[in-house]
Amino acid sequence: MNTYCQIALATLLMTLLQLPPAQAQNSSQAQGEAVSGKSGAAPQQHRRGAQKFVLENSEGASIRLWKPDLSTVPLVAEHGSITLPNTGMDNYHAVVVERDWGALKEALIRYQYMHGKPSGHSTRELTAAEKTSFEIVPDPVPREHQHYRSVRNWNFLLRFHGAPAANVAVVLESSNGTSLSSISNAEGKVSLLIPDDFSHREARGQDQRSAEFTVSAELADDSVTYQTQLSAEYRVDPSRWRSLGLGVFVTAIGLAVGGLLGHKAVRSS
Amino acid sequence: MNPLKNLSIIRKSVQISAFIFFVYGGTLTGFYLADKVSGALPALSCAYDMQGADLCTLIPFQHQMDHRLGEAIAGGGNLMMGLMPTLITLGTFLVLFALLNKAFCGWICPLGTFQELLHNLGQKLGLQRSESLAPALVKRIRPVKWLILLLLVFGFPLLTGIGWVNHDLGDPFCKICPSRMLTTLATGETSELYLDSSSSTALTLSLVADFLFGLTIALALSIRQPFCRICPMLALHAVFRKLGLLRLVKTATPGCDRCGLCAKACPMDISEIHTEMHKKDVTFEDCTLCGRCVEFCPYKNVLQLKYAGLPVFRADPAYFKPRKKAQREWEGSNLLALLKGSRRVARVKQP
Repeated sequence: MNTYCQIALATLLMTLLQLPPAQAQNSSQAQGEAVSGKSGAAPQQHRRGAQKFVLENSEGASIRLWKPDLSTVPLVAEHGSITLPNTGMDNYHAVVVERDWGALKEALIRYQYMHGKPSGHSTRELTAAEKTSFEIVPDPVPREHQHYRSVRNWNFLLRFHGAPAANVAVVLESSNGTSLSSISNAEGKVSLLIPDDFSHREARGQDQRSAEFTVSAELADDSVTYQTQLSAEYRVDPSRWRSLGLGVFVTAIGLAVGGLLGHKAVRSS
Repeated sequence: MNPLKNLSIIRKSVQISAFIFFVYGGTLTGFYLADKVSGALPALSCAYDMQGADLCTLIPFQHQMDHRLGEAIAGGGNLMMGLMPTLITLGTFLVLFALLNKAFCGWICPLGTFQELLHNLGQKLGLQRSESLAPALVKRIRPVKWLILLLLVFGFPLLTGIGWVNHDLGDPFCKICPSRMLTTLATGETSELYLDSSSSTALTLSLVADFLFGLTIALALSIRQPFCRICPMLALHAVFRKLGLLRLVKTATPGCDRCGLCAKACPMDISEIHTEMHKKDVTFEDCTLCGRCVEFCPYKNVLQLKYAGLPVFRADPAYFKPRKKAQREWEGSNLLALLKGSRRVARVKQP
């Protein structure tokens, strides 16, 4: 197989996906790593300790974890996965995987919330920092304690050496099989609708399912091709169990009752 | 009366500016929670408002009860470590609170401002308005804010963290707070106005929230500050009101017995401002330090707003007379009075 074929194959397979919490916990425990001892009922966002990701085909890649204060920690992939150590800092961190093939430069980025002591730094600083030559930056990253949700438009900014990358084709692919494409505007921005591609579920209660999406783009400059990918988790939109219409209806009842009570209170006083 | 010397107009300007800043100011301060001004504002500036400049201290309190203290108790962890985030939030709250005391309610709170503006609208529409609620009703309502503070802000979140109640009760006050709906709707976001059918607890909380939001709007048109009377923030302020630099101070005179204009002017119907004859500090638990009682006190220096012991606004007959006249004119010019006046003119013109 020639080098170019190898590059092409590697490019196709290099992905960064989060392990489901239970799997991550089992996996970490199996390797004797420290995972938070919180109850299984605790939501993932409040889980402290190490987080584990699958990193496929990462041979020759350099991996760094960017902390909220913009300091970095080198990471090593083992058995096709990487473990993010507990940095003790609260807020978003960025996992940046880079691979340089000479004529092809690849980058994967994932913004991951980690719990710890307040970092005193805004996520703005992390997104503004140039972490790799060509990167897709969420604009903004979902706010602390929030998530990407389906049926919502989210903006992404394409940056090449810190400057906006205009007119670049962008592809969003979800692990549920959806594929969307768009082109960045003059400011390097692109707006993408996170797909509502979760299957219908009859069961009552909040739908806690999540899936992964990637946003990818490719750019050529001075005979070097740059490929970049942003990966993130998204969840089912709450409109599946929340009704705006009924909410307005109950508010209208409150208005009517309030009108009567107000009138009565005024008359009695 | 010169509007620039009218305390109510000055206050309204501050309120509207604060509303704009706290509801839309995220464009200046930043989008992320870490960008917000304090993270422990002593007013109902909602964290669910993505464009807001700050967030109310009640949301971190609920989360810390649930995820820090509650879980520390349940897991047999270090209680001091579990309590530390709450103490840090309380410290931030107190630093801010000391500056303005309960004036955060009367001058800053977006929900308070919204209710006042609705009341003004009610006045202008000529909807019959209540100068004051019956004292017995006021007394019955007063304990509600303490119950909400103890149960919804601290109690249920703590029990959730311990694991005794379900996770939907992790932040129950936010789930029913009208400010969540008001501030998000003000930014064009409808996602917080919903009926949640995911569980019976979520359904109950969302029913209460939507009903309370409608009730607050309708009542505010005819009754002054309906939600403020049961607001847990008012109760939290009441706990620490002796630490605030701004105070309402009274030096009673024999004339106070007969007058009572201060209590009538009070939007929270605090009759004790009138009846209290001995205490100097009359910053009562329901007071929002709006200063209306001082404006409508006809006796020189009887009521004063003092900052760190220095008077900043004093009752004065020279202020009272034009202020009362301006108030009469304001209340007299409304849609209903206009319609009545035109009917009277029509009847006179009939042969």
